[in-house]
Amino acid sequence: MLIFSVFKTLTDQIVTVELKNDLCITGTLKSVDQFLNIRLDKISVVDPEKHPHMMAVKNCFIRGSVVRYVQIPATAVDTQLLEDATRREHASTHKR
Amino acid sequence: MADLSAQVQEPFDLVRLSLSERVFVKLKGERSLTGVLHAYDGHMNMIMSDVEETILMVEPEESGSTVQTMKRAMEMLFVRGDSVILVSPGAR
Amino acid sequence: MASLNGYINQRVLLILQDGRCIVGTLAGFDNRSDIVLSNCIERTYSPDEPVEEVSLGLYLVKGDMILLVGELDTELEASLDLSQQRAEPLQPIRYGPD
Repeated sequence: MLIFSVFKTLTDQIVTVELKNDLCITGTLKSVDQFLNIRLDKISVVDPEKHPHMMAVKNCFIRGSVVRYVQIPATAVDTQLLEDATRREHASTHKR
Repeated sequence: MADLSAQVQEPFDLVRLSLSERVFVKLKGERSLTGVLHAYDGHMNMIMSDVEETILMVEPEESGSTVQTMKRAMEMLFVRGDSVILVSPGAR
Repeated sequence: MASLNGYINQRVLLILQDGRCIVGTLAGFDNRSDIVLSNCIERTYSPDEPVEEVSLGLYLVKGDMILLVGELDTELEASLDLSQQRAEPLQPIRYGPD
């Protein structure tokens, strides 16, 4: 839930999604859902010479389960806020 | 280390104590990361900053196999938990 | 949210777990991202031969098998000369999703 909320705040940021088959796609984050499926707009593949397969693709839906990493602009996140929210979530799931 | 183990009753307590610290993360596919941990959840999804990734590339050859390492830096990274094998506080 | 809503009746490219590329018209989907594609064509890439296209007809692809669904720019798509494209096929995912 926490990570889902973080991704929602990243809407309209430019991110690079790296898939588990090593394909890297950069684009504008348009939306995410609870499975962390991702919609990207204005996409480009990081190595188009090697991967011409997506040349005519302008936007895409990426299945959350095949994502390895998402590179986020560092300026788009408040790390202190993230840590506080994480501690709160930890406390609520490990209720004591 | 004695007081640390007193604070750690569940595995995730160790991860919580690593918040805003540098951690070492081993991933599937011969990859590992070091970076500062800022967020995680119960799936071990994580958000880290100042990340260095190390990829081990094993290439089989006739005379045994050669191992090459590749390094890459990323400023802010979300890591999906299903690739995570282990998290260790205090990056080596 | 991040749904496939906007892709209904659009020409899309599917990339699958095993590295296959399938182009088709998105006829329907559900919340597990299972997808029905009509008029689909599989595109096989190879490093030293032209892209090969095989007609498959109507397909239902299980969501678990799908990496990515991309909306095709039909004009750009029509302007591409697949017979000139050479590329290694995409890699399959070598370890499971969990």
